[in-house]
Amino acid sequence: MAVNPSMPVLIVDDYKTMIRIIRNLLKQLGFANVDEAGDGTAALNMMRQKDYGLVISDWNMEPMTGYELLREVRADDCLSRTPFIMVTAESKTENVIAAKKAGVNNYIVKPFNAATLKSKIDAIFGE
Amino acid sequence: MPGRGKLSARSGGKGRASAKRADNGRSVSDEITVLVNTLRELAAIRSTAEDAAGRILDSAEGLLAFADQEEAKKAEDAILSIMTACGFHDLVGQRVTKITESLDKVLATRMSAAGRSGKRAERPAKATKAKLTLDGPGLPESSQDQARIDALFRDN
Repeated sequence: MAVNPSMPVLIVDDYKTMIRIIRNLLKQLGFANVDEAGDGTAALNMMRQKDYGLVISDWNMEPMTGYELLREVRADDCLSRTPFIMVTAESKTENVIAAKKAGVNNYIVKPFNAATLKSKIDAIFGE
Repeated sequence: MPGRGKLSARSGGKGRASAKRADNGRSVSDEITVLVNTLRELAAIRSTAEDAAGRILDSAEGLLAFADQEEAKKAEDAILSIMTACGFHDLVGQRVTKITESLDKVLATRMSAAGRSGKRAERPAKATKAKLTLDGPGLPESSQDQARIDALFRDN
């Protein structure tokens, strides 16, 4: 499965700064079709309206966390195969394992750089 | 830790807040004022960090648009590095939130000791329904880097 730069990507984070950073990094990687959501609930609603090729989500948000969003996505037949990257400051071992068990495709620890984001996207799409 | 301004409560009887004394001799009312001012300062730190990160990103985005063709790649890498460094706002914000929540709890305790009803005490600390416990950013010596996370991810 090759990376398709025209695929819609959804960034989910309650910090506008992080959304801007990730959006700019994605733009430099060639992704122009990028939407954003401020929490898991908003993201889930958007995902039910539009077919996203990749979700990049923070964990620590209210009212629905990125972890809860991940579980909702994986439990939904229409959304369950959407590639999902967690980008978070949460680096506790149990959280990483829980996210993996819940079906996250990759996990990025903040602070991160452009190369890390690119490598995780490439890893998901097999490049 | 006596002598270092520890906010330990000495609850005893009903009386005016100013009559109650903490270990360091300050009245409970004084301590509440200090805590409220500290929370205001933390809110200001968060706001300042957000504003600074926003202005840096504005400049970096502007630079990216004007990057010279020949030096474009070098300029682009430098600008992206500036942008990702702006993630400090998120991490600072999460740390400030942790401190704020701790101080909120102390403040609620002190207000309760002083006989004030304060809304803060009634506010739920944060959604605590069946979720994994979140620690936010770890301290440098205890947090895991990306390489360790990658290994953990592979092995589980």
